[in-house]
Amino acid sequence: MTQEQHTQPGTNQSTIEVNNVSKWFGSVVAVNDISLQIRPGITGLLGPNGAGKTTLLHMIAGLSAPSEGTVTVLGEPVRDNPQLYHRIGVMSEHESVYGFYTGRQFVEFSARLYGITDVAQAVDKAIGSVALTDAQWRPLGTYSRGMRQRMRLAATMVHDPEVLLLDEPLNGTDPRQRIEFHQLIRQLADEGRTILISSHILEEVETLADRILLVVSGKLAASGNFRAIREKLDERPYRVRIVVSDLRAMAAGLMKMDTVDSVSVDPDGSLIVLTHDVGALQRSVPKVTKDLGLRLLRVDPLDDSLESVFSYVVEG
Amino acid sequence: MNQMFRLSMRQLAGQRRIAIIALLAALPILIAVLVSIFANDDDSFNENFINSLLAGMLISGILPIVTMALATTAFANELDDKTLSYLVLKPIRRSFIVLPKLLATIAIAGPLLVISGVVATILGLETARATLAVGIALAVGVITYASIFTWAGLISTRALGFALVYVFVWEGLITSFFQNIQYLSVRGYTMSIMYGLDKTGFESISSQVINLYAGIVGAAAVTVVFFLLTVRRLSRMDIP
Repeated sequence: MTQEQHTQPGTNQSTIEVNNVSKWFGSVVAVNDISLQIRPGITGLLGPNGAGKTTLLHMIAGLSAPSEGTVTVLGEPVRDNPQLYHRIGVMSEHESVYGFYTGRQFVEFSARLYGITDVAQAVDKAIGSVALTDAQWRPLGTYSRGMRQRMRLAATMVHDPEVLLLDEPLNGTDPRQRIEFHQLIRQLADEGRTILISSHILEEVETLADRILLVVSGKLAASGNFRAIREKLDERPYRVRIVVSDLRAMAAGLMKMDTVDSVSVDPDGSLIVLTHDVGALQRSVPKVTKDLGLRLLRVDPLDDSLESVFSYVVEG
Repeated sequence: MNQMFRLSMRQLAGQRRIAIIALLAALPILIAVLVSIFANDDDSFNENFINSLLAGMLISGILPIVTMALATTAFANELDDKTLSYLVLKPIRRSFIVLPKLLATIAIAGPLLVISGVVATILGLETARATLAVGIALAVGVITYASIFTWAGLISTRALGFALVYVFVWEGLITSFFQNIQYLSVRGYTMSIMYGLDKTGFESISSQVINLYAGIVGAAAVTVVFFLLTVRRLSRMDIP
């Protein structure tokens, strides 16, 4: 069992508490004995596809019941407690919407179900905050994927919730929309909200969350300050495949470099180089090739997948 | 709840679906019109024919099929397209999610089926009492079936298959052969209410019915039980 606390200066009370939670579907264990506490601020829930992020998020949101363990949000059990949704906003990963509603109708529908008294004002504010005021009268069915995600976010936060649970919220958004999204989420967090964002894209969470929870194979693999985890990730050796006109000569040349840990010849006719400083290797390879009078045909990083990063953290 | 009801109406009242069930509901009227035009002056023939039309075709076939087509999709579509989370993640009691969906099914299927039965009765039996009896009985049948099939739509992705088996095997075959099973049959409740409210007009189905009050209590009990089961299911299930 892993137990972690995520704190922010000036806040002592955890808003989300997950205690020894497991979830299994038949013989498949999706979440395995996870315990954690989350306090106000931005927390990233990170993990490869199929790691159990969505299952964990669904249990925190009350959409599914843990097979074992308990989940409380704002001090109350979230499951079978609809009144708590006055204080929580959840944006699920599924991007489907009621296509026959306009963007504004969709947010209005949400606002009315939350029991908001001044619906028009709340809807104006929510739609304005995702910069979709001009498109609000168009049917959702005509929106781009990124616009639909932003309007879904507006509907999720129209009631000004204390806790926001966002499952892959940046799917389909373009770089400019991501920057705007980051600014909005940062502003909401600065106002004292607890925001939990799940993602399978490392860089997406890196630039947004101060703290991360790494979930791999249903377990909490690592958690805490983002920089510390990032440094740990940076320590891992990278594998790079290099194809040149003379493998033997290139291998000898590479072995003289300080940044290279090992070189092996792959049966498919390439070199597999292990390095702790992939940047330095990238800069040196063209020069070494030129000095040796060889022809550089191809350079491929082999460890860029998120899965390999997580594997390293879990095993390391 | 009003928001939820309007959403459910919009989801259920797709043009193609409405056109198909309207055609189904219009069948008894069409047949009654043809019979009234071409039949001879023998009133007893007309009465018997309309009784068979109402009991055999409308109550045993069209009523459950139309209600099934709507009620099973009330939740099934939202489970399929993953929009159910928009409703359950709101501060609303689960009963206030189920009730509007049930009411939307009733609001669409009810008028179509009641009009169908009432018009066919007017054409065949021509009495206000019989017309009223048919209208009330069909309304009760719609409500009861809607409750059962709304539950079925939430518990299984194959609700339509379950509903078809239920209608044709249980309601159609088994209850026809065993008299006591009429106490556990929506078809039995509907026909009993119709007969109980106008025994003279529906004399020909007297052997297929139970007591009027048993029919009313049975229909009410089934409606409430399946409504509560649906609420319970929605509270306990994992929402995709």
